[in-house]
Amino acid sequence: MSRGSGGGYDRHITIFSPEGRLYQVEYAFKAVKAAGITSIGVRGSDSVCVVTQKKVPDKLLDQTSVTHLFPITKYLGLLATGMTADARTLVQQARNEAAEFRHRYGYEMPADSLARWIADKSQVYTQHAYMRPLGVVAMILGIDEEKGPQLFKCDPAGHFFGHKATSVGGKEQEAINFLEKKMKNDPAFSFEETVQTAISALQSVLQEDFKASEIEVGVVRKEEPFFKVLTTEEIDEHLTAISERD
Amino acid sequence: MGDSQYSFSLTTFSPSGKLVQIEHALTAVGSGQTSLGIKAANGVVIATEKKLPSILVDETSVQKIQILTPNIGVVYSGMGPDSRVLVRKSRKQAEQYFRLYKEPIPVTQLVRETATVMQEFTQSGGVRPFGVSLLVAGFDDKGPQLYQVDPSGSYFSWKASAMGKNVSNAKTFLEKRYTDDMELDDAVHTAILTLKEGFEGQISSKNIEIGVIGNDKTFKILTPSEIEDYLQEVE
Repeated sequence: MSRGSGGGYDRHITIFSPEGRLYQVEYAFKAVKAAGITSIGVRGSDSVCVVTQKKVPDKLLDQTSVTHLFPITKYLGLLATGMTADARTLVQQARNEAAEFRHRYGYEMPADSLARWIADKSQVYTQHAYMRPLGVVAMILGIDEEKGPQLFKCDPAGHFFGHKATSVGGKEQEAINFLEKKMKNDPAFSFEETVQTAISALQSVLQEDFKASEIEVGVVRKEEPFFKVLTTEEIDEHLTAISERD
Repeated sequence: MGDSQYSFSLTTFSPSGKLVQIEHALTAVGSGQTSLGIKAANGVVIATEKKLPSILVDETSVQKIQILTPNIGVVYSGMGPDSRVLVRKSRKQAEQYFRLYKEPIPVTQLVRETATVMQEFTQSGGVRPFGVSLLVAGFDDKGPQLYQVDPSGSYFSWKASAMGKNVSNAKTFLEKRYTDDMELDDAVHTAILTLKEGFEGQISSKNIEIGVIGNDKTFKILTPSEIEDYLQEVE
């Protein structure tokens, strides 16, 4: 196999292109969008909520096995948008790392440490040729003892930021525009407002009202800092509240 | 490092004798956000733009200027994730030095070891060079020092330097304004003015970061309110 140095291989493995770009990383981002799912995360004053579409392509599939929302520990959740197989690898490694952290240091891994660990692992895939970047963008949510509710987003390039609100996937730019307007004056959302902002953002960009079974919602709250996936009934309550409000 | 299948270097010589991957890495640095450093008579200042992709990003979660040891700080231009790797390795090397010699690592030594790591990634199998240039600011027995380290692994000591998008304008500006007997406070003002030169939009304490080290040999990252004070003095 011939060497890199721009002999056309800058598109096949993560070496620099003449413009100083990493094409493999950019293609990984495209793979996230190609999954056709949009996810939204919103951080309130005492809670964090993430919402994603639940597309079950085949009626014969067991719906309960189709999920993008994964508990990493009792307190941390991870929403993976993109390639499901890559997501499962990431979740498996994250669960392992969080458990080892707890064992090694004697306290629960905070959200920002987990986000940093995931981002650092993603960076390794962008620098070493033997592993491709993962086609997943991960949103980490948790309640930090000192800093309060936290929402982090980690991407295939190895970037990670804390967010007040964010979006990933096919319609991420529209969603981010919607959220920027809502969060412009640094509002302090209550739990209900946080969930409703997230759900209505998704409804607005997808331009459809969905049923409770078509979305997945995960939350963490200060009063009850465990990561929780809402049941269909709970989602229905929020959907009703949104339609009554409008 | 790397799988056995990739036990050949990805960075190889072109017929004209250039290492093209390193040149591309420098291009990546050149499209990164501007950062700069100035060595004063009694200290060093480093500063950078902190432009975030959206107002939804929590700017308190991002810190581009990092502390390597209590008396050495670093800022980068280029790919953020790559810089995290170098910061981690440098911190470990500094600690290992201290453990062995019971003395804080001299600035030149830390710079040399970091540069060695960057060079290794231009020659080892299955890896690409780092897409960052670093500005290392430190104060030890030899006084205040400022070093720039490039993706190739070469490093130079500078009186003042800039990297990233606005490098040529910034360097011209610094050449005009630099004096050997500058005080640290003047250097901070000059740094802010240099950043302002190529700044798109309104400069504020939320979209720049400044780190200083003075005679107290303690590297300090300025808080937004301290930056605000300096910004007002500059107006």
